[in-house]
Amino acid sequence: MRRTIPLALTFIVGLYPILAFFVPDVRIAHANDWLDEALVIVAAFALPLGTVNVIMTNTSKLKKKARGWQYSIVLLAGLAIMAIYGLIGGTGVDPKFQWMFVNMVSPLQSTMFALLSFYVASAAYRAFRARNVEATILLIAAIIVMMGRIPFGDMITGGRMTPLSEWIMSIPNAAAQRGIIIGAALGAASMSIRIILGIETTYLGSGKD
Amino acid sequence: MNAKKLLNVDRRVIYLLVAIGALIPIIRPIGLPTVPTEPVWKLFNKIEELGPDDAVIISFDYGPSSEPELNPMAQAILRHCFARRVKVLVMALFPLGGVNMAIDQLDGIADEFEGLEYGVDYVNLGYKDGAQAAMKRMDISIQALFPTDVNGDPVDDMPVMTGARNYDDISVVISLATGIIGEYWVNLVNAQFGVPVAVGCTAVSAPKYYAYLRAGQMMSMLGGLKGGSEYEKLLVDKYDFARELYEEPDVKARSAMAGMDVQSIVHMIIIFFIIFGNAMYFLMKKQEKEEKER
Repeated sequence: MRRTIPLALTFIVGLYPILAFFVPDVRIAHANDWLDEALVIVAAFALPLGTVNVIMTNTSKLKKKARGWQYSIVLLAGLAIMAIYGLIGGTGVDPKFQWMFVNMVSPLQSTMFALLSFYVASAAYRAFRARNVEATILLIAAIIVMMGRIPFGDMITGGRMTPLSEWIMSIPNAAAQRGIIIGAALGAASMSIRIILGIETTYLGSGKD
Repeated sequence: MNAKKLLNVDRRVIYLLVAIGALIPIIRPIGLPTVPTEPVWKLFNKIEELGPDDAVIISFDYGPSSEPELNPMAQAILRHCFARRVKVLVMALFPLGGVNMAIDQLDGIADEFEGLEYGVDYVNLGYKDGAQAAMKRMDISIQALFPTDVNGDPVDDMPVMTGARNYDDISVVISLATGIIGEYWVNLVNAQFGVPVAVGCTAVSAPKYYAYLRAGQMMSMLGGLKGGSEYEKLLVDKYDFARELYEEPDVKARSAMAGMDVQSIVHMIIIFFIIFGNAMYFLMKKQEKEEKER
């Protein structure tokens, strides 16, 4: 029963939108609208689930005094403070919540992201080598695209770098991206069919408590 | 010259050079020229065609990590829409701070324009979870998905919503996106409902959007800081208020055009290191070969 009901539910809610897409009937469309509405609500449950997971993982780390447990204190304190102000004043235009976001969360995350330029420069120097033909092509393309993304490129080459960079992005890159997107979509579709038909059941867990 | 030694240069030297390269243009801006590209002026021209009877959706689908790249873009697009008096529906579908980015940007930009009224000319609908489900729902009714605005006030009585019931009333959706939400707008809202979609994305995620752009599923793309600077350039060239505004030190310092100075120098440093690293690599190979032969 613990497996049959979820499998039956998955089959129904998985198959119904496909049916609604292909069958132009008002009654089917209405029920599908209700399903869409329910999906927004169900999706919202992912957030508290994620929060509980973060709390459980970090409290367990604290109890075990695992490596870096001090960071868990900072994380849990940050979570609690933001949650308290968010719950009391709302996450909208409440000055305290927004102040903390703009002055604490935002600079911290921006700093983390800004560090990338240092690592990219260091990694490019150490790892980006013209070891073979493929690597050389990649290297030349990367330099052209990087030059095309900055005004210097056009200044040096008399305006040729941007069109060349755009050509690389629009033709070879777009072709490769298209292949990846189509491949991923086919993979997602086949996985969805497997889940709807109950062939793929890993999402149900191991079955052990 | 010992190439092997140079190849193993202390990484702190590289960090220092990058830091200097980033700091110099901040202290002393260079003001490098910007030339707008086709994907950017397509969105600019689209908004130029719109007026007070039209409505656009601007979805803040990014968090603080992408703020330096996407904030200037958001500011330029909002300024353009407000200058044209286009009705703006702002929302956020990105969970990690999208709504806060929207509040921060919208309030600041709206204050620059006299006579703009919240609820009449623009509204912040706040955050909604379940990106794809939310997008699908808006085809039936935007108001049903967002019954209240970001402050919790009902949107029923807001005049801005009367002309924006569902996608039929939306002239263009602009998603400022990091991650996959921009793709959802393209492959769901454009593909299924036919709404023109433009995506402003970080430079690192721009390559994947070229496939959609080439396929015509996206009407425009603003890629990274460069896309933002190109949009600013178009705005500055067209509108006197924008030319004056982007000359103000505070606005200028935070603009994408100023950011391009930093990006240019850092890109040049990275390119130099790639070329220098390869030169040293081949020199090292040559030196090793010569040593073996001896």
